[in-house]
Amino acid sequence: MELSTLGLTLAVSVVCGLDRTAAGQFMLSRPIVAAPLTGWLLGSPEAGLQIGAMLELLWLGRLPVGAAIPPDDSQVAVGCTLLAVAAQARTGMPLQAVAVASLLLGMPFGKAGQFFDRQARILNGKLLHRAEKALECGCAKSLERLHLLGMLHFALASAATLGVVVSGGWLLLPLALKTLEQPLTAVSNWLWLLFPLTGIASLLGGLKVPRGWQIFCVSFLLSLFVLVLR
Amino acid sequence: MKLPRLVLLQVFLRSFLLQASWNYEQMQSLGLLYAVTPAFRRYYTGAALLMAYRRHLEHFNTHPYLATAVIGALLRLEEQKQQGADPGFGLSEFKAAMVAPCAAMGDAFFWGALRPLVAVAALLPAFQGFWWAPLGYLLLYNFPHLGFRALGLIRGYGGGVRVVSSLQHWRLSDWSVYCKQLLLLLLGVLAALISIAATAGLGLSGAWVLCAGPLLWAVAMLMRRKISPLLVIWVLCLLSLSWSQLR
Repeated sequence: MELSTLGLTLAVSVVCGLDRTAAGQFMLSRPIVAAPLTGWLLGSPEAGLQIGAMLELLWLGRLPVGAAIPPDDSQVAVGCTLLAVAAQARTGMPLQAVAVASLLLGMPFGKAGQFFDRQARILNGKLLHRAEKALECGCAKSLERLHLLGMLHFALASAATLGVVVSGGWLLLPLALKTLEQPLTAVSNWLWLLFPLTGIASLLGGLKVPRGWQIFCVSFLLSLFVLVLR
Repeated sequence: MKLPRLVLLQVFLRSFLLQASWNYEQMQSLGLLYAVTPAFRRYYTGAALLMAYRRHLEHFNTHPYLATAVIGALLRLEEQKQQGADPGFGLSEFKAAMVAPCAAMGDAFFWGALRPLVAVAALLPAFQGFWWAPLGYLLLYNFPHLGFRALGLIRGYGGGVRVVSSLQHWRLSDWSVYCKQLLLLLLGVLAALISIAATAGLGLSGAWVLCAGPLLWAVAMLMRRKISPLLVIWVLCLLSLSWSQLR
């Protein structure tokens, strides 16, 4: 893997990691955006779009409410896109098969993001103490600098999570592709669709809307009817 | 002293970094100071500025998109205080009363309803391979996002404590329910699209499409029992791989 590829991925990872909590929250960090962006920069937008679409729904129901930290789907999206693009170039396997394999192996490492994010927030607590001390000393100017330093912690947490996702996937993916090449290729179409179906079920399980199941079932059956007729 | 538009613009832009130093002790308190600094520098100098900073360096946590409404109202109250007006309550009390309802409304509307709705709307073209789906997602999401941020600051600064009426007038809780109902409709369409693609890909007859309904229901019930989606996807993938090997 070239250094420029790693550098581009790291840049996307940091931008998305900052967008996730610290800066803007324009939703650049959602897998449906982060993965295609990474794929496009690495020369394979289709890989990014496929991985982003598969991953988007899975953790969508996990809300960043208050102090809760959901698994880092942004870094999983970026890291798995890098793994899939590299693995496809190396093995020549179909894109769907490598995308599914990289996601299956990369996703568990997304939990590391929760750990690193928590550490960043703990380190930010130290910035607050320094700010309090600065105010006691009558030095108001450093408040802004201390606040902005918090972004460095979030950026480092994102880079560390990406490191874990990519290293874990890098170690396991060649072994998995070598062992499961044929069955993975055979059922990749089906596996590719399991991700959004599980994501839909996850959302349906979490949504508390009056008559929600009825609305979903009517829409599902009507859409089937229209699509079959088409 | 009324704030010039340029200063309000600075406050608005700085509000995007409200959570840059989010921490477990006072959460967004440093972010609040960072956002209001351009305005505070107009209101106070020297020791008075330090006093104002000390007054506001306390627990603050609300939804980042609706924070501008609180910030705007806070700036108006600071102004009124400077002019000698007594609103009948302290600024800390006002902040404490505002942050929780704004957080609850923002979480329910933006995180719980709008974000999933726009994501599913973008996934419909994404699954058909349309490259512009992510751009559509960003546009659809950020139009209301940026609108609420800007409007919050305008209404907050323009109306002071009357921002509470504006927030009520927006009826975000009602809109959350409408968005979730629309989300369920779109989820039905997406599930149908995926089921048809799945059966076609596997060479199964059309009747198998209807199996997606019970499958979704069963997985949703597992999710309600707090089973991780990651675990479910791993088990389903292992079952599919084993089935493929057995065939």
